[in-house]
Amino acid sequence: MLSSIICWIGILLQALILARGCQSKLLAKYPFFYAYGACVLILTVPAYFVYAANSNTYGFWYWGEQLVSLIAGYGILLEIFKHVLSPYPGAEKFARITGIMVFGAILCFALVFPLVRSHSSASVTMVEFERDLRTVQAIFVSGLLVVITYYGIEIGKNMKGMIFGYGLYIVTSLVSLAVRAYAGPSFTEVWRIIQPLSYDVSLMIWMMALWSYHPTPIPESRVRLEAEYEALAARTRGAMGGMRAELGRVARP
Amino acid sequence: MIQLILFSLIGALLVFALFFAMRRGPRTEGSSKALVGARQALNSLQAGLLPPELVERIFAPEDYEYVVSQAPKDVRDLFCAERKKVAIMWVDQVRQQIRSLMRFHLGSARFHAGLSLQTEIGLAVDFTGLLIACRALQVLLYLRGAYSAPRMVGATAATATRVCRISEESLAFLNAASIGGLDDRSAGAARLL
Repeated sequence: MLSSIICWIGILLQALILARGCQSKLLAKYPFFYAYGACVLILTVPAYFVYAANSNTYGFWYWGEQLVSLIAGYGILLEIFKHVLSPYPGAEKFARITGIMVFGAILCFALVFPLVRSHSSASVTMVEFERDLRTVQAIFVSGLLVVITYYGIEIGKNMKGMIFGYGLYIVTSLVSLAVRAYAGPSFTEVWRIIQPLSYDVSLMIWMMALWSYHPTPIPESRVRLEAEYEALAARTRGAMGGMRAELGRVARP
Repeated sequence: MIQLILFSLIGALLVFALFFAMRRGPRTEGSSKALVGARQALNSLQAGLLPPELVERIFAPEDYEYVVSQAPKDVRDLFCAERKKVAIMWVDQVRQQIRSLMRFHLGSARFHAGLSLQTEIGLAVDFTGLLIACRALQVLLYLRGAYSAPRMVGATAATATRVCRISEESLAFLNAASIGGLDDRSAGAARLL
């Protein structure tokens, strides 16, 4: 009953975020984020009915859904690159190299994992698989945040909320999956509450942060340099005008 | 159990990263004002704080030996207390100027697509090491007086000089000639206006 309520609250919040995104035209600003949201929503609604009809089938659906949403979640990381790091080529280079390395690690892990863990039961394997993928994601997001903090990069309200909500969800998923893998099926009931509940909390954060458009501030130095250039250009234009006038006076008979 | 602790630690790492990323303020370095500030910090370090004569003078054991041999206990204590204050202030100034250089460097480096990862990591290690060394030195000077860690003083001053040299290279484009040239051009343009 409780898990159903949490699930429906999540669906409602997700739908609200998407509706608000359309209304405030944020959809065009953050397409990857909303694509992720739409993807999760599309998968969650039928998941509920699958669960109600047959809980055994739901297991397969759940893991498929988790895998797809995990991959779609990288859309949020793309938004971080696009909106937070792109004005800073140096910091972006740092983060990009880290990202490529982590992505390579994920790919290798995903290819090697089924071969290594073929002896485990399917459900344990999937729990550990998702936990490990979340770990990689957690390391990746931590790396990005370290770069952002180290270089003192300013983040707008929208992106702050997006990062905070997603980061919180990753942490909760990671820790709960680790406990689930350690404690075994006895933790499953608690885990079924914690996992969607943490996602609902993230949805609330996203709802508040993405209510209206708050762009990431443009680097001040660039504004200043441009302003300085504008001032210099204005002075030069003025000087040229003065010289033209002088020349005109000299040239006049 | 070890696995559980390991994954929890990774979770904690992300929580800390989130916390620091959300709470810290923006860095606005990279503008002309910051460039001049960094140049001043560099000058202050190279000309005012790090010259070997000054460092040797502040931490000179000869002064202490002279006072110990010639002056009564009250004067000796006063001398030690005053010298300790001067030494701590010197380290504090060095630390502040290094922080200023570090802020400028990070504020500027983030815009450069040609940034070198190796240099950045090397500088990060140098800056962090220096700041930690300065703090440790302050604590040591506070606890044991100005003459407690001559080797550490020497090592800190040497590393700071090295960092200054690297920073100077990155600030090379802001030499007096180019600033003067810019100023002259601006003044010339202003006169024409």
